[in-house]
Amino acid sequence: MKGTLNDQSLIYRQIAQLLEDGILRGEYPADTQVPSTNELARAFNINPATAAKGINRLVDEGLLYKRRGIGMFVAPGAAEELRKRRREDFARTQVKAFVREAKRLGLTQQELYSLVQAQAQEEELP
Amino acid sequence: MTNNISMPAPQALQAAKLCKNYGKQTVLKDLDLTFEPGLIYGLIGRNGAGKTTLLGILSGQNFATGGQALYGGQPVWENSAVLSNLHFARELSASSELATLSVKRFLQAGKMFCPCWNQSFAEELVQKFELPMKKMINRLSRGQMSMVSITAALASRAPVTLLDEPTAGLDVVARERFYRILLEEYQRTGRTFVISTHIIEEAASVFEKVVILDEGKVVADQDTEDLVGQFRYISGPAALLDSALADRGVTPLQTQVLGGHKMVAVRGSEELFDELAAEDGLTVEGMNLQNVFVALCGHGDEEG
Repeated sequence: MKGTLNDQSLIYRQIAQLLEDGILRGEYPADTQVPSTNELARAFNINPATAAKGINRLVDEGLLYKRRGIGMFVAPGAAEELRKRRREDFARTQVKAFVREAKRLGLTQQELYSLVQAQAQEEELP
Repeated sequence: MTNNISMPAPQALQAAKLCKNYGKQTVLKDLDLTFEPGLIYGLIGRNGAGKTTLLGILSGQNFATGGQALYGGQPVWENSAVLSNLHFARELSASSELATLSVKRFLQAGKMFCPCWNQSFAEELVQKFELPMKKMINRLSRGQMSMVSITAALASRAPVTLLDEPTAGLDVVARERFYRILLEEYQRTGRTFVISTHIIEEAASVFEKVVILDEGKVVADQDTEDLVGQFRYISGPAALLDSALADRGVTPLQTQVLGGHKMVAVRGSEELFDELAAEDGLTVEGMNLQNVFVALCGHGDEEG
């Protein structure tokens, strides 16, 4: 777990996002335990109810499951599910914002594509 | 032992049709409010909104002109069985009634009046805050006065603890430390805390619920994040923004105009914000608790 919280989006969403990021990066493989409500509350100096809300969101979405008396664990397939969701979200929101900014800057389609292509090559996308 | 907890479970603390006048001035008007047991509440409002008066009446240290304060359904006023469950930490100053006491005597008084007082917790806090035990309260710095008041409040182990501006005199490091200690104590005991503050944003993540007072009335009383989630800043070209809001019958709370560009604060639903975000040219941004507070209590001050 790393990262800090900001005050521009809801804390429980940031907690959910931090756990999602951890799952995506492989820090929490399937069937491993994630930090508890109390550990999250202590680490980020937040109300435990807010930390619980973040965790419960992932439980509701089927990404975490509860083992009674032990804690919360990563559901099998959670990383794949998250990757799929993040890809959809990437197409819907980030690409849209990115193209809109290009439009404001007066870039042509061709100019935009070549910028993306150059960056993709630098990052060695397959 | 800090962990030795022998405290009655907290019960609901309630204001029922509370009114308070000072002479001709009305401070609280028919105020109905319930602080549920075992939660951390933030109480925020502008200067003169009635926060200190409300906390004073809820803890039986000030009397109501009308209505009453109830704890577990029992009237608070002059009810010693109930009062032993409540602790009100006022802001200390050099002119406070007890300011001629030494820190040591002040804390001893706390011990006498609080049946659940935890002496080892008090000593631990005295050490953490490096409080000079022999100094008189009126010789302390403002930050030290806050720490004395906080120490007495936390060590009281009162099931319901009300703190009026506990962080006012503290620097940013001490404020963070206070909230850390508060959360530890909360996790240990499940006491109810009601905390008034002007330094809103850094406390927002500590408050499960928030009550906003404005001119003696409750303008918000709900889960902090649910409240904040209902607000957004919407910005874009003025004409486009105005028609997008008018089409949907939305009245902005707060408006800022810069040339042809306009930004407004809006209260609404996720669906509304999604619709506005989909309009080409409009930007939708989240707010924080401090922004929400200004939008609700600013009364148009921001217009420049």
